[in-house]
Amino acid sequence: MQMLSYVGRRLLFVIPQLLGIVFISFFLIKLIPGDPAVLMLGPNATQAAVDRLRDDLGLTKPLVEQFAIYIGKVLQGDLGTSWQTTRPVLEDLAERFPATLELVTLGLGLALAIGIPLGVAASMQRRGPVRKVADYYGLLAGAIPDFWLALVLIFVFYSLLGIAPAPLGRLDITLIAPDAVTGSLLVDSLLAGDIEAFRSAASQLVLPVLTLGLVNAGPILKMTQSTMDRTLASDFMRYAEMSGLPRRVIRRQAIRASLPSVITLVSVLFSVTIGGAVLVEIVFGWGGAGQYAVQGVLNADINPVLGFVIFSALLSLAIYLVVDLLYFALDPRIRG
Amino acid sequence: MSVEAAGVPSPGGRPLPGQEWRGAASLRFFVAVLRNRPAFALGYGIVAAVVVLTILAPLISPYDPIRADPEAYLLPPSLAHPFGTDNTGMDILTRVIYAPRIDLVIAIAGTLVSALIGAPLGAAVGYYEGRGPIGRSLSVAVMRIADVLQAFPVFVFAICLVAVFGQSISSIVAAIAFVNVPIYLRLMRSQVLSIRNMRYVEAAYIAGASDAAILARHVIPNALAPALAQLSINIGWSVLLTAGLSFVGAGVVAPTPEWGSMIASGFQSVMTGQWWPSVFPGIALGLTVFGFGLIGASVEALADPVQRRALVARSRGG
Amino acid sequence: MLQNLHAGEGATPLPPSPGTLLAVQDLAVSYDRYEKEPVKALNGVDIEVREGDILGLVGESGAGKSLLARTIMNSIPGGGRVSGGRIDFMGERIDAMSEEQRTRLLGNALSMVVSNPRGELNPVLTVGEQIGNMLRYHKGLSAAAAQDEALSLLKAVQIPAPERRLSAYPHELSGGMAQRVVIAIALACTPRLVISDDATSALDVTVQMQVLDLMTDMVRQKGASAILITRDIAITAHFCNQVAILYAGEVVELADTDLFFDRPTHPYSIMLFAAFSHDQALRRHWTRQADPAVPASACPFAPRCPRRQHRCVTERPALRRLGPGRKVRCHDPVEA
Repeated sequence: MQMLSYVGRRLLFVIPQLLGIVFISFFLIKLIPGDPAVLMLGPNATQAAVDRLRDDLGLTKPLVEQFAIYIGKVLQGDLGTSWQTTRPVLEDLAERFPATLELVTLGLGLALAIGIPLGVAASMQRRGPVRKVADYYGLLAGAIPDFWLALVLIFVFYSLLGIAPAPLGRLDITLIAPDAVTGSLLVDSLLAGDIEAFRSAASQLVLPVLTLGLVNAGPILKMTQSTMDRTLASDFMRYAEMSGLPRRVIRRQAIRASLPSVITLVSVLFSVTIGGAVLVEIVFGWGGAGQYAVQGVLNADINPVLGFVIFSALLSLAIYLVVDLLYFALDPRIRG
Repeated sequence: MSVEAAGVPSPGGRPLPGQEWRGAASLRFFVAVLRNRPAFALGYGIVAAVVVLTILAPLISPYDPIRADPEAYLLPPSLAHPFGTDNTGMDILTRVIYAPRIDLVIAIAGTLVSALIGAPLGAAVGYYEGRGPIGRSLSVAVMRIADVLQAFPVFVFAICLVAVFGQSISSIVAAIAFVNVPIYLRLMRSQVLSIRNMRYVEAAYIAGASDAAILARHVIPNALAPALAQLSINIGWSVLLTAGLSFVGAGVVAPTPEWGSMIASGFQSVMTGQWWPSVFPGIALGLTVFGFGLIGASVEALADPVQRRALVARSRGG
Repeated sequence: MLQNLHAGEGATPLPPSPGTLLAVQDLAVSYDRYEKEPVKALNGVDIEVREGDILGLVGESGAGKSLLARTIMNSIPGGGRVSGGRIDFMGERIDAMSEEQRTRLLGNALSMVVSNPRGELNPVLTVGEQIGNMLRYHKGLSAAAAQDEALSLLKAVQIPAPERRLSAYPHELSGGMAQRVVIAIALACTPRLVISDDATSALDVTVQMQVLDLMTDMVRQKGASAILITRDIAITAHFCNQVAILYAGEVVELADTDLFFDRPTHPYSIMLFAAFSHDQALRRHWTRQADPAVPASACPFAPRCPRRQHRCVTERPALRRLGPGRKVRCHDPVEA
């Protein structure tokens, strides 16, 4: 079937891209000053111990060989160990990546729920209050630093009003997390029937999701509005107007025609926010993957960073593949 | 009399080739537009104010930006300290006024460098793409590399670069430049590709104009507007990135005043109810980026013939 | 109130006499420019269509034919506006069309056949859906009934393999087929006036005649009237009972077809015929370049006119009756 061959071709492209990403990350991180053996053993280690560790870790081999060994291990599912947590990176990421995913998915979901309706409304109403509000919001949302907004929200809802829980991670510290099935606390607590954990997880999620949602609604709104504007001015939309079709039909057709651009934007935003949510993660003590990677860089701990890069690159590529398939479904011209 | 002959952009929506900008008339048009779209004026005003404040910082700030006064730590906003003091006693208003010296310089420098590298490269890629085997394979190679670079989590990438080059202003500039090059690369490439296929470029080519001449006379002027809009928005975004880097401690080193690191150092205080060390720098940061965003939006509006027509109608009072 | 500012025209236009289907009176459309006078793309156009008329509107490129059509259809391109005159259709004033009028009249009583069908049809909807939309929203048909009716319409426009075309997308159609589709759309509901905007100029000559035949037949079958816009004056001889000649945004001659072809009176109309003449002297006399010594004149044709007088430069001629069934805008039309 045509679609299968298309998917197959795309997957073929994915592999060299992935390889390229890991390649560049590997060499970039190797450039970071700091000897891992020294860092792991501490300042009091003897030179002999350090040398022996470096040998064990394979750090004395030529870089290209180190890279090949690393790839070999990755293909077997071994992403190395983090010297900070002393656990396999794969385990660490299996915990942290879903946390980030849950946060980003809900946050972008909120952003879509705010941004798209506002964008459509602003576009259909050529001038007037809705359009002004949308214009300003779009720009403002893109201007506000997300970590600052997080702090402000914490100050207002936690310090001042006391309605929000303390920003100390995904779950109230007195509670035990449910068994990890999907990695998403919301889903897992429901699956385990643990209502208290569910409520706590949900209330911990409110502020960070609100932060990400409010900030990302801006670009989504702007893209929706500008695409709708352009669509409404296009020849075929004017023809629809000249055919006397009712306003709601025109709006529906315009939204349908604008969908591809919005989908593209959302996919890009998603990939970007996986890494970009790190600041929000830090503010809320979320224990997410981005935070993990950043700490890896700051402490010259290579494997977490590489592991994160691989995970997020894989996710991005998967997202772009899904988007391409969606385009296939939405636009008959591509199929033809 | 046909509409085209009157010197107005054709109703079809694309700018006419070689449409010259008559300086004085354009300036007056610009001012009239600003008067009719106060939002744009606001943007230019904000940025101008920030620049002025930055330059005049030593003359107008009440205190020394990096002198700590442990006695006066965490004082709430008052007449003596309109924005309060932070946890080492430094006056926040002063530091907020001084911060753009670092933030803006880094952002503008980084953005300009990335534009100066990315735009010509993108234009060349777009121009030579599909013209002969060498051009095609080079273009594909460059675009694949750009793809890979853009697939990186931006923030982690930036931190890596800073870690590699050591924590200094130039390394932050380099990180910002690196991260933004693909944006200008793609922008110029897509502009060039779409303009290249327009009839009048074909006509110039057939008439024997050299590649460089075609690029200079036709392609670049038309691609300029989106690039300028992008520049402005990019500068704002780079300020945010710098602040973010400083927030995690991979950016500007204390005690140099910088909005992001100021927000970071006020982090703990927010929990205990002292909001001013983090909130004020954040407002200044957001306002500045907002101003740049408005400027970018105004450039976009002026460049788009449909919006321009609307602006013309409104500025005539019609 | 819309004022009539043109010399020689007289009073403010009045509502048209009953029995007139479409009355365009002194219509002016301008485009604003900054710090300069607005450009007048239509400079006082007068046309009238009665029941059963097929009016041929002839003019060169840039004369304003398409602009006139789109102005009537409430869809002025590129940000122009109506700056004078009025348009009345079936007893209602439509130059400032309300939303209610748009959905009631356009595509229904007043429809247009566009000249770039593949650019103006919605690319992501099938032919059947697009015709069906007209039937559903104007005639209240159910989706299924609309599809049946769409099929019979496709058969009526003689499109080959109509069942297959129902589920085809615009990009899968040839130019001729797409043209038939937009004809079907224009005639789907209850048209009283169909405007054909140069609908056949992109087609091969043989196909042109077929399509025009088809279109005018269907129009007559429905008891409707039509305006055929074209650059080709020969078409009007075959299909129209009235001819209007448009030059530089003004109507310069308006006449019954047989009268017009027997004896054109405006110098521009004569030029249109003289251009084909075998008589070289005749051609040379009537078809001239604009004389650069003549300034922009009150009569726009003056710089090219062999019968130019001094008053042509300073005084705009009025559209005057010149015998039964003819009106001319000229100070010195060719009589006898």
